[in-house]
Amino acid sequence: MTATSVEALPAVTEVRRPSRRLAAPLWVTALLLILTFLVIYPLLMLVFGAVSDSNPVIDGFGKFNPSLTHFIAVLGNENVRLAFFNALMACGGGTILAVVIGLAFSWIVVRTNTPFKGFIAGASMIPLFVPPLVAGVAWSILGSPKTGLLNTALKWMGIDFRFDFYSMSGLILVFGFYYAPYVYMFTASALRNMDPSLEEASEVSGASAFTTIFTVTFPLIAPAILAGSLLSFVVMLGIYGVPAALGAPANISVLTTYIFKLTAWSPPLYNTAAAVAILLMFVTAILVWAQQRVLSGRSFATVAGKAFRPRSLNLGPWRWFTFSLALVYLFVVVVLPTIALVIAAFRRFLFFKDFDAVFDMKAYSWVHFNSIFDNPLTMMSIWNTMKVGFITAVIGGLLAFAIGYTINRTHVAGRKSIDLLSTIPVAIPGLVVGVAYLWAWIGLPGGLYGTIWILALAFVARFIPDTVKALSTSFMQIHKELEEAAWVCGRGLLGTIWTIMLPLARPGIVASMTLLFVLAVRELGSSLFLYTSDTTVMAVLLLDYYEGGNIGKTAAFSLVQTVILVVLLGFTTWLSRGAAEGAGRAG
Amino acid sequence: MSSALLIEDLVKRFATGKAAVDGVNFDVPAGEIVVLLGPSGCGKTTTLRCVAGLEHPTAGRISIGGRVVSEPERGVLVSPRERDIGMVFQSYAVWPHMTVHQNVAYPLKHRRNGGGDISAKVRDTLELVGLGDYAERSVTSLSGGQMQRVALARSLVYRPQLLLLDEPLSNLDAKLRVRLRDELRRILKQTGMTGLYVTHDQSEAVVLGDRIGVMREGKLLQMAPPAEIYNRPADSFVANFTGASNVLLGKVLERKGEHATIDLGAAGRIEAWTPQQLSPGDKARVALRAENVRLGERGPANAFSGRVIERRYQGMQTVYDVEFGGQRLEVLELGTAARHTTDGEIALTLPPDQCWAYRDEGQTAAD
Repeated sequence: MTATSVEALPAVTEVRRPSRRLAAPLWVTALLLILTFLVIYPLLMLVFGAVSDSNPVIDGFGKFNPSLTHFIAVLGNENVRLAFFNALMACGGGTILAVVIGLAFSWIVVRTNTPFKGFIAGASMIPLFVPPLVAGVAWSILGSPKTGLLNTALKWMGIDFRFDFYSMSGLILVFGFYYAPYVYMFTASALRNMDPSLEEASEVSGASAFTTIFTVTFPLIAPAILAGSLLSFVVMLGIYGVPAALGAPANISVLTTYIFKLTAWSPPLYNTAAAVAILLMFVTAILVWAQQRVLSGRSFATVAGKAFRPRSLNLGPWRWFTFSLALVYLFVVVVLPTIALVIAAFRRFLFFKDFDAVFDMKAYSWVHFNSIFDNPLTMMSIWNTMKVGFITAVIGGLLAFAIGYTINRTHVAGRKSIDLLSTIPVAIPGLVVGVAYLWAWIGLPGGLYGTIWILALAFVARFIPDTVKALSTSFMQIHKELEEAAWVCGRGLLGTIWTIMLPLARPGIVASMTLLFVLAVRELGSSLFLYTSDTTVMAVLLLDYYEGGNIGKTAAFSLVQTVILVVLLGFTTWLSRGAAEGAGRAG
Repeated sequence: MSSALLIEDLVKRFATGKAAVDGVNFDVPAGEIVVLLGPSGCGKTTTLRCVAGLEHPTAGRISIGGRVVSEPERGVLVSPRERDIGMVFQSYAVWPHMTVHQNVAYPLKHRRNGGGDISAKVRDTLELVGLGDYAERSVTSLSGGQMQRVALARSLVYRPQLLLLDEPLSNLDAKLRVRLRDELRRILKQTGMTGLYVTHDQSEAVVLGDRIGVMREGKLLQMAPPAEIYNRPADSFVANFTGASNVLLGKVLERKGEHATIDLGAAGRIEAWTPQQLSPGDKARVALRAENVRLGERGPANAFSGRVIERRYQGMQTVYDVEFGGQRLEVLELGTAARHTTDGEIALTLPPDQCWAYRDEGQTAAD
């Protein structure tokens, strides 16, 4: 009996091996090729552009005169240096403000008995969803030195002080206010995971609450503070919308706006733009690397596997003070800008004789909305945006699933390279992706350039790290043994993925795809270089309106975009909730 | 010499549910160590945290060294830092961003009258807990036992009036726990510290406590020296919690002072000690420890004959399930040799002094 089974076994494996042996390398090669196509090829073309002086549109790629002198000349250029230092200053100042706000909020929400904490925690994340250009537009309506609504109000109140958001300090303020949630996310979770007895020990030792915060609490969450501030710095560095709206009127260029200026030149300076883009990418990559180092370092504050009773400090009457701080923040980042957009969108003219004129109902009408919808570009841009978003979500979602599964659930050779390639875009700002894709496709006749596919592929490349990460998290929650059980039951690998992984990971997949959709709808930086008149998307058209100088249309279209985003977010939340419940029933 | 702790009618009610601490009274004379013992959720840690000032009591009075530190009825609430107490936490709570020396020096730096020669005090205290050579180490490089010593040194260095210890050994592995337990007793007695110690571990309670208070559902059931808790439990829960796992159900026939006769039905009568005012006819439960049953012996009182149903050899000891007259007992025999077998009748004696009778209050009292 044993003899027969020993003889039978090799025969079976002999039959199955050849196909098995080929399948894995083929699969890995395919994924690597796709990632090379999406990420590596455009980056190589970007480097090629930076070190040559040939114009891809006129010369094609035939004339290639590589020379570092061009790249070095760009770095030595006065304007580039100015844009670089402006960027460091705006983002550095913004980060400091974001840390102050983020830390204060996480402390208020996690460590005090401030009323309506849940509401404050939820509402303080709203700025993350506001497209940067919309925020920039709103603040230019509020804080432009001459006609800004805030200044009109100050004048009416007889106060001599005037705001000027068309300035470096304006940039810093808006950056700090809108990107504080990045710091908050890190510090709040660090505070939550911190053993409260570390603080209690300090109090029992005789230290005051104030001393405790500065000698125990903040030092302990220092890694989280650093990680959060590096992240917010990197995000600000890659933002185009805010400096375009607030910096441009005062002639303040940062790296992102300078790069775009170069390509909008006539003739376009594509080579210089590529060189500056590489500079921007280099700074971003260093910061992202530093942030990952901080995060992977041993965290002080957390003790694994222990649940703590949240410790909340009784502030007494002061809790209404912290509550009003939170309200002021929400007023400044959400309510004021919304009011500004609504007023600007519905008023025929954004000029106020005096403050009472604000309430003059005759001055309000739908005229700006009518005029933007009379423009055929508007509907086309909305339709294009939806198409691009859909393509991005489907392709990006499927690709991320394939990559995530291969990295997390298989042991095929080459999965480390897949992991690496799919992580690279983390360090590439959207604007740089745009320039790289421009270089990759503009010179190829009949290629992707000029279609909506180039936008979608650029978005897929840009957001693949986030999507893979989100999906990997949902893979990790599915125990390996669930799959192994299916294999033991006789299912093949694909059958197992289809019957076990897909149904169980469905909430994660739906969530990642909807996230991709929303990100694609919001994206401005990479679209700037890739759209043509037929493939305009909403974010680009909004910039057009703004630069055209018509505040009423700009505000109206900002509101249209915001409403579309809110509806989408609501719909996707509902969708992922539904998916989660569906999976709950299936499991 | 440190001073005393006095707790009167302490009540702590959280926002939801019933009182976590429900009318607790006890005192800790200067230099004594009192251990609060009980299962999780019994209110022992809440009591300790009320003494520390980390929880705010709902009612009652807490005095440390003759000074009232908490009395909600009169609006008195002294903050933890003003109470002159030391506290050792279950999770050690040593600060990972400081060295051993910085951890221990911290209270001296932040107390009003902490000053003096800080480094000399730190050195002496580290010497006391056996960490003299570790002063400049980072605490994250220490083992769990060493971290707990740092925590202890940090709470002793300023010689507080009262030391609070919240399950300080429960995160350590078994061997280390026993060693540190004995050492903790030495250190506390050497410094003459008044201590309040909270644990769910009986062996810690017995070794460390001058007196043990057993708590359950927010109430203090018995406060007595260890030997009394073990030999004269005041309550069927205390008896059960400290290991008297055998329960015989019956009816009281008569009671003379602290002795009662209980009718066990088919099994016959049993003499038992009782702390309660039992009257003839009351339902009663008799508790006794498995190791106090004398198997194979026929003594002068409470002698029965039964059968061994099952024998479980456990190496260092053997456990027998014995049945007599419809009642079941677990009997424990120490030693590596099992002397009894499962066949035939066997004599057993339940020494009257080690059988404790309590009023039967239904199933709730038994768990």
